Amino acid sequence: MPTIHRRTRLTMATAALALAAGAAAAEPFTCPVTGGELIFALEAQVPGLDWHVSNSTATRNVALNIYESLITRDDNMNPILQLAEDVSVSDDGLAYTFTLRDGVTFHNGKTMTSADVVASFNRYAQVGVDRGILEPVEGWEAPDPRTFVLRLREARPLFLEALSVFTVPVSIIPAEHEGAPPQQLPVIGTGPYKLDEFRADSFVRIVRHDGYQPDTRYDTMSGMGGRRVACLDAVTFRMMTEAASRTAALEVGEVHGVEDVPAASQARLAADPNLTVTRRDTFWMNVFYPNHSAPPTDNLKVRQAMLAALDFDEIMEAATEGNYKLNMGFQFPGQLYYTEEGAELLNQADPERAKALLAEAGYDGTPIVLLTNRQFPVMYNTSLVMAEQLKAAGMNAELLVLDWPAALAKSQQETTGWNVFHTGWITVIALGGPQTLRQMAEPNPVHKPVDLKVDPEFMAAFREVQTATALADRQAAFARAQRRALETVMAVPLGVAPKVQAVRANVKGFSTYYNTRMTNLWLEN
Amino acid sequence: MAAYALRRLLQSIPLLLLVSLIAFGLMKLVPGDPAMVMGGPNATADEIDAIRRNLGLDRPFWVQLGAFYWNLAQGDLGRSLLLGQPVGAAIVERLPATISIALYSMGLTLVFGLSIGIVAALRHNTIVDQAAMVIALLGVSLPNFWVGLVLIVLFSVQLGWLPTGGYVAFGDDPVGWLRSATLPAVSLALLQIGLLARITRSAMLEVLRQDYIRTARAKGLSEWKVVGKHAFANVRIPVVTVIGLIFSVLLSGSVIVETVFSVPGMGALLGNAILRRDYPLIQGGLLFVAAALMLINLLVDILYAWCDPRVRIGGDAR
Repeated sequence: MPTIHRRTRLTMATAALALAAGAAAAEPFTCPVTGGELIFALEAQVPGLDWHVSNSTATRNVALNIYESLITRDDNMNPILQLAEDVSVSDDGLAYTFTLRDGVTFHNGKTMTSADVVASFNRYAQVGVDRGILEPVEGWEAPDPRTFVLRLREARPLFLEALSVFTVPVSIIPAEHEGAPPQQLPVIGTGPYKLDEFRADSFVRIVRHDGYQPDTRYDTMSGMGGRRVACLDAVTFRMMTEAASRTAALEVGEVHGVEDVPAASQARLAADPNLTVTRRDTFWMNVFYPNHSAPPTDNLKVRQAMLAALDFDEIMEAATEGNYKLNMGFQFPGQLYYTEEGAELLNQADPERAKALLAEAGYDGTPIVLLTNRQFPVMYNTSLVMAEQLKAAGMNAELLVLDWPAALAKSQQETTGWNVFHTGWITVIALGGPQTLRQMAEPNPVHKPVDLKVDPEFMAAFREVQTATALADRQAAFARAQRRALETVMAVPLGVAPKVQAVRANVKGFSTYYNTRMTNLWLEN
Repeated sequence: MAAYALRRLLQSIPLLLLVSLIAFGLMKLVPGDPAMVMGGPNATADEIDAIRRNLGLDRPFWVQLGAFYWNLAQGDLGRSLLLGQPVGAAIVERLPATISIALYSMGLTLVFGLSIGIVAALRHNTIVDQAAMVIALLGVSLPNFWVGLVLIVLFSVQLGWLPTGGYVAFGDDPVGWLRSATLPAVSLALLQIGLLARITRSAMLEVLRQDYIRTARAKGLSEWKVVGKHAFANVRIPVVTVIGLIFSVLLSGSVIVETVFSVPGMGALLGNAILRRDYPLIQGGLLFVAAALMLINLLVDILYAWCDPRVRIGGDAR
């Protein structure tokens, strides 16, 4: 990861070093074959292409090929520069000065300047979904057409890390679109592809942006950035929500690639010589969190009894049809903040200990309501098995099945009527330790402690993760926070399910990442 | 006739307003909103709140309802929260797919449903009758998502004759339309064929027992004339009623069939709108479907007069 030093410029030298560690590319990437149209089947509808206001994965899958930001993340989730040539941090850590890359053009032919960056930050501050990342920012200005300065109220060592989060990034748009209402933003970016046609609920077609200049500072693409090259003339994202139809379309060659191959189809597709199955093993963290405000899970001993009773293998086996790995913490192995601190509390599968804890708690048989949904089978199957395991340990578990929006709303807006909420974390984990801890920290902890006041020991560790300047200190604080979260059962990571995609064999250069990238891949023959 | 039609149309306005009010109220009572859907499983509470403010969902119920009716009075169904396009445009965009597949499916239903029903009645209590009713029963019983997937496996994956999904507009490529619309139309039609065949059979059986049929036969008329002219003329009323109902169902689209075949039609539009809590789209879509159903009902009433001269539009009967 590029290290930010005071008065040190995060130049491409450091960024490229970080990149090289992950990508190890020998020669700069060029397209072996240029041209053709690739058709890719998405598993979800794309709810618009205004990336400032949408956290949807389907939006991101398309938008990442259209828009770019000053700074983004590489394969290893380290921040790397994208539209910024470099960034320097003042001695006091309050001013971040970005120099913009020269000659970047929008899809409408206009050259990008700092005025566009200012307008983009202005719009994001008004409507951006994740505008909380700008909370420590006092203001921004453009002293000249290639310079953009962000001024912070207080020093935040992790500010660039937060700014580079690509879930809902501050993508750069033309200044004239600053006032566009949410979901009505003209789709004009600086990315390698530009929008050709968007037919809601049907397809999105993007075509190569001929004015795009790949970022020659890098050897190849990495994560959301690097040297991105559009080898294809066009890409059509077809929205095919039915998994069986999607995989059938791939098998007969109507589409070149598909998102989310169901476990039942993976072996069949892998055996087909015309297809290539790709996967990312660490993708979806299967998570549940107990409601700390509602009885009986307001009682620490009951929550600990629940944790003691659970056999994670049995749950994950049913939830993912055997397609899983257990994960002993809130980060994946290999991530900067990965630790197994508190791992002995996970996967205990000890109903007798659970019964003893229930006796200590004075548990009176009050129902434990597992709030789940059928739209995400992983969550539903998890809740089914978990309910049985809790019952076997003497708990009166019952399911409350709602559709996803209703279940999510209930978990967020109500502190009664549910005791356990099932969900999945993807970018929450992938984007790093601080992003993960934010879910359990004030002001909006997911586990709903009384008056939303989170355990002081956890909050102290969380603050240290955010403010400590030395990485080792932040890692140590993260480990303390993780242990405390597991001891008090704020959220429980049950295991990880992979992301599995498949493409036709003539699609080359395709790899599974958190989102579907259409650069640096080509169609052979 | 024209005055009757106009009166029926005017009478439908309060009903449509009521439909929109119920749709608006019901959706507000159900937990969850579009912000939850846009945010997805990974969104934080802050992010959800930000999206909600952006979409104007933090405004009071009455303000949102008032805005909806104010726009409606100006012929504006509002703007879809998640599609980012006017509701009217979203509906118009999807109508060709739904209408063309509905008509195709209706054609299959009429041809096969009526034929099977009539043949079964004429060969009452024979193996032909039993075979026809087994076919009808299968059509009614098999879930259309299953039928759709089986058709995909058979005709797309195994035989490679037809595409697995998608929709090609008739105006762009008539052959492409026929290829893309066949499997969805067949999936939709199977259920309706079963229904129509059973209704036609029972209506025909009743008519075939009537004295005037016996008289027609005694007069030496050909079986074709007896059935085609005298018997079928008297089963048109119940059959037209059922056809009206079937077409209403087909026109409002099928979420399942459109999802299986990735057809961007009204069913998928409304189904997704409900799942996403896209209030303007739900209200506008339901309003449109309700209006279409009322028009079809009106058409069916007018057809009654054509089918049976004893029926007089406007309430007079001979």
